[in-house]
Amino acid sequence: MATATMVLARVKVQRRFGLALRVTLVIALLALAALPLLLGGDVWAQRISRAAIYAVIGLSINTLTGHAGQISLGHQAFVGIGAFAAAFMASRLGAPLGFGLAAAAVAGALTAAAIGLVALRVTGLYLALVTLAFGLTAETTIFNWREFTGGGAGAFAPRPALVSSDHAFALLCLGVLGLVLYLDWRIVATKTGRALAAVRNDERIAATLGVNVTGYKLAAFSLSGLIAGLAGGLFAHWNQIVQAMDFEFQVALVWVLMTVVGGLRSRLGVILASAFFALLPLTLPNFLSGLPWQPPFLNEAVYHVLPPFIVVVMLLIVLRFFPGGFGQLLRPATRWLTNARTGARQ
Amino acid sequence: MKRRQILKVEGLMLRFGGLQVLNDLSLTVREGQIVGLIGPNGAGKTSCFNCLTGIYQPQGGRVFFDGRDVSHLATHRRARLGMARTWQNLGVIDALTVTENVMLAQHQRAGYSALAGMLGLAGTWHRERELLRDAAEIVEYFGLEDVAHERTGELPYGVRKTCDMAMALASDPRMLLLDEPASGLSPEEALGLGATLRELRDRLKLTILMIEHHVPLVAEACDYVYVLNFGELLTEGKPAEIQRHPEVIAAYLGGAAEKNEPPEWPLRPEGATHGTA
Repeated sequence: MATATMVLARVKVQRRFGLALRVTLVIALLALAALPLLLGGDVWAQRISRAAIYAVIGLSINTLTGHAGQISLGHQAFVGIGAFAAAFMASRLGAPLGFGLAAAAVAGALTAAAIGLVALRVTGLYLALVTLAFGLTAETTIFNWREFTGGGAGAFAPRPALVSSDHAFALLCLGVLGLVLYLDWRIVATKTGRALAAVRNDERIAATLGVNVTGYKLAAFSLSGLIAGLAGGLFAHWNQIVQAMDFEFQVALVWVLMTVVGGLRSRLGVILASAFFALLPLTLPNFLSGLPWQPPFLNEAVYHVLPPFIVVVMLLIVLRFFPGGFGQLLRPATRWLTNARTGARQ
Repeated sequence: MKRRQILKVEGLMLRFGGLQVLNDLSLTVREGQIVGLIGPNGAGKTSCFNCLTGIYQPQGGRVFFDGRDVSHLATHRRARLGMARTWQNLGVIDALTVTENVMLAQHQRAGYSALAGMLGLAGTWHRERELLRDAAEIVEYFGLEDVAHERTGELPYGVRKTCDMAMALASDPRMLLLDEPASGLSPEEALGLGATLRELRDRLKLTILMIEHHVPLVAEACDYVYVLNFGELLTEGKPAEIQRHPEVIAAYLGGAAEKNEPPEWPLRPEGATHGTA
């Protein structure tokens, strides 16, 4: 009797201690992540904003590809339309930031919903080609529509006074990222996530279980476009000027592949991979020029194509050795961190 | 006393290119019945199920469910009227755990909109806990609690099959369409299934239409049997009558019908073809 009580007490202590340890660890990691923002000055604040925007884009692709199993190679169009919509609202109409971001989100959602209508008819490779063609067409048509985008000169997207500092803007970006993370969490935790998993795996089975496959596909496209548009709006105000060349096809390629490298349906994996590829173009030139030996072919143009090259190499490694992406590598750690909850359920 | 017709099919016609899959097929299922749909391989049984659930759009004919013409209703709408089915190659979603699959089957009675769930509105958390509790009960009823949190993709066939059945029932159906519920089961298990189906029918007031090759199960469980051959209705009747029907024997065994003594029928339905026996 006494031993049983003792064992029980020890288990309890261990669980409580374990929980405390986990919470401490999470807080420590968050603090570590916040350090650059607190101490790094404007440069790091800008970088964190960019990383957060990329993470939002990654989660947008995760919604579409990870949850609904659809592919979009024209995501730069959704983000770009969001960016130009936000810039248009800010510079032409002088609308407050909130309206600008809302317009960006709605513009992205409507565009993606239109593509979603196509996705009801074609799947797989053909859907990839249709979205690819759409993205390329948008680059040369919508993004060069002078009244809307300012043509080659680009459109200005000044920040309002409240978030004019880089630190304040970084907090805004992190806030939006938090919101999108919450959405993603609730999708997975409710009937929406289960319905999308069914649609992703077998549309016929989904339909016989009462899931409106058409509706969920369209909703996934719209939501993905909404999040992408929102990210575009943030990007516009981050850069304060939007140009068509910011949204070239190879950017979309990096976005899609970085999401897979991070791990579809793994929030943490997607965020880490997105942050990596957000910072890569900023840090790569410095890193390469600091090397003791300079390859003769290195120049500006090479810097431009290196991120797509690197993401493809990483993709090959990931697909070969851990198909679940970074998320799969991190799973033991994340599982341990959330162990308290799953343990209680059983 | 004649019971109400819950499912009525009139003159179903289904063609794939030049292939006539179903030809003027009509059948009726009354409330509370267990009805068997049998026939040799390729007779069009599963295609018939696909027409009933709206996965195939037949070129002709009509389907009435509970007195309502559902011929042009989308699959998910028919499901919401209370039509559930299992699949020959299993209707479980491999990426989800057993519990999640059962919760997925409860989709139509979740009671909140997808948007509300996504935004995390107040009622949805509570509903989600209720769904989880119901799912746990169903999982336990089917003896799946040990694998409740395992992904179905990693489970053996028999367990996944049980999960498929659990899902069909979790959707709270009025009518169950079972596509070969006994395949992959041992003969003893198959016979046990007959008792289970009857018990489910009585307890949950279900109506069951099932495709099955396992004759003892059909004989034991079914109130009525339809026999399909080359997409046409060969005959119909009570299981005992069907077993003695010369044309059925001919269809299964290919021209062995002249013998007076009925052979043990059918010997090996999976392998039985239209060649000479």
